[in-house]
Amino acid sequence: MTTKIVVVTSGKGGVGKTTTSASFATGLAMRGFKTCVIDFDVGLRNLDLIMGVERRVVYDLINVVNDEIKLTQALIKDKQIDKLYILAASQTRDKDALKQEGVERVLGELKEMEFDFIICDSPAGIETGALMAMHYADEALVVTNPEVSSVRDSDRILGMLSSKTKRAIEGGEPVKEHLLITRYNPNRVEGGQMLSLDDIHEILRTPLIGVIPESDSVLQASNQGLPAIHMQGSDVAEAYKDVVARFLGEDKPMRFTEAVKPGWFKRVFGAK
Amino acid sequence: MGESKAEFTRESGGRRSASRTGAFELKSRRFSLLGLVLHSADMAELAADWAERAGAGGFEHEPVVIDLSGVPRAAAVSAAEGQAPLALDGPAPVDLRAIVALLRASQLQPVAVTGATAEELALAHELGLADAADEPAAERAAAAPAEVVREVVVEKIVEKHAAPAPTLVVDKPLRSGQRVYAKGGDLVVLALVNHGAEVIADGSVHVYAPLRGKAIAGARGDTSARIYAHSLEAELLAIAGIYRTTENPLPADVAGKPAQVLLDGEKLLMQPLAF
Repeated sequence: MTTKIVVVTSGKGGVGKTTTSASFATGLAMRGFKTCVIDFDVGLRNLDLIMGVERRVVYDLINVVNDEIKLTQALIKDKQIDKLYILAASQTRDKDALKQEGVERVLGELKEMEFDFIICDSPAGIETGALMAMHYADEALVVTNPEVSSVRDSDRILGMLSSKTKRAIEGGEPVKEHLLITRYNPNRVEGGQMLSLDDIHEILRTPLIGVIPESDSVLQASNQGLPAIHMQGSDVAEAYKDVVARFLGEDKPMRFTEAVKPGWFKRVFGAK
Repeated sequence: MGESKAEFTRESGGRRSASRTGAFELKSRRFSLLGLVLHSADMAELAADWAERAGAGGFEHEPVVIDLSGVPRAAAVSAAEGQAPLALDGPAPVDLRAIVALLRASQLQPVAVTGATAEELALAHELGLADAADEPAAERAAAAPAEVVREVVVEKIVEKHAAPAPTLVVDKPLRSGQRVYAKGGDLVVLALVNHGAEVIADGSVHVYAPLRGKAIAGARGDTSARIYAHSLEAELLAIAGIYRTTENPLPADVAGKPAQVLLDGEKLLMQPLAF
């Protein structure tokens, strides 16, 4: 199997790119694929926090891009999941330190190490960091919240995926785009406070790979330094597992998209 | 222009190409060209003014007609008895050679002169420029038979524009931040044009999908240009500089429906299209 490079991007900040990168990479590794997740958010690194490897970061992406150390020295192996590796961003540098030749070389070396998937966690915005994260992508997860400004920014990013990436510039097969809606709350959609799945599809017309419900367990997970997909029994973990399955070509019906009225049990004992 | 990689397609020939005879046809054609209207024959003054106002360039080898009909001439010319020998006493001829060099340096392609004196016309022919005869020129250059002149014009221009203005066809969605400009012709978009995208054409704009961004037709002043959309939701509509935003919502009979937009005098008309 050849290495597939997947960028997780959105344009807008705070929509759940890093949460998604962490859970998606973990999910792929749980399925037995050798996976590396790279934090491209140089200067504002978060992925290592969410992956719970913050204290193990010695070298980072910029050190490797600048050829100061070997790639293997910077790769952090996950303690829970075999075959999962993390490449952290530098906190003390800025995005201009991301040189295109260096990024290309790092990705090339990861391919030589026979990784199945490389997940690039893009920074917000449309500048160097985001462009570098998407440049070599084969596929893209575009993360969107159900509100107008997030959808508009995703539209902008979709435009850049189809014009600024290596595939687009060289005129090859376009980057395969997947839309992932996070923080979806069906009850608030019914109340008209959030855009519905149909509204979003009508604007973006990009195939939907999954819907992650709004949930407190995401917050709990990131505070514990645990990818949300590890939160056993939570809707969010199930939804991310569905995303991984769909990405691997399995047919899974959408879940957690219908509004539910709290039953008598919940009304008596309170919502969890 | 535009981030989208669009392909150029060309309209095929004339409308009645069915009965094709021979490898070419000589047809009378009308083209709209840039005209350089001179107000002075003083080359130094002209060069300085050109450098100041147009020196930055930005032209893309567009054809231009040098219009000399506005150049102030000395009154002496009018004396008919002068005839040929007295041509030396006529007005100082405009230095066409210098003007042509000036225009070429700015990526403009002079193709013809109009309003030239017989002497200037001779020089123009020498420089490979045709005489674009219109009324003042016909009066002035009485020596040149009109028919001959017209033939030259046709040949000259048809050479430069072998086909009608190309139509630009875009088959990928245009998303926020993307812009496509169909220079000199129509723009056809086969996929959606989202909020924040811009579709611009010197001719008409056709969008066979929802049009949500900005649409600008007749960007260089063609008032007959129109905008057609399969679902009209545009945030801005403009034809030949007359525009409207959707600050006041589109009329209910066209909003989100197939519609065309055209110019009626100074007013944009929006009409539903029934298929």
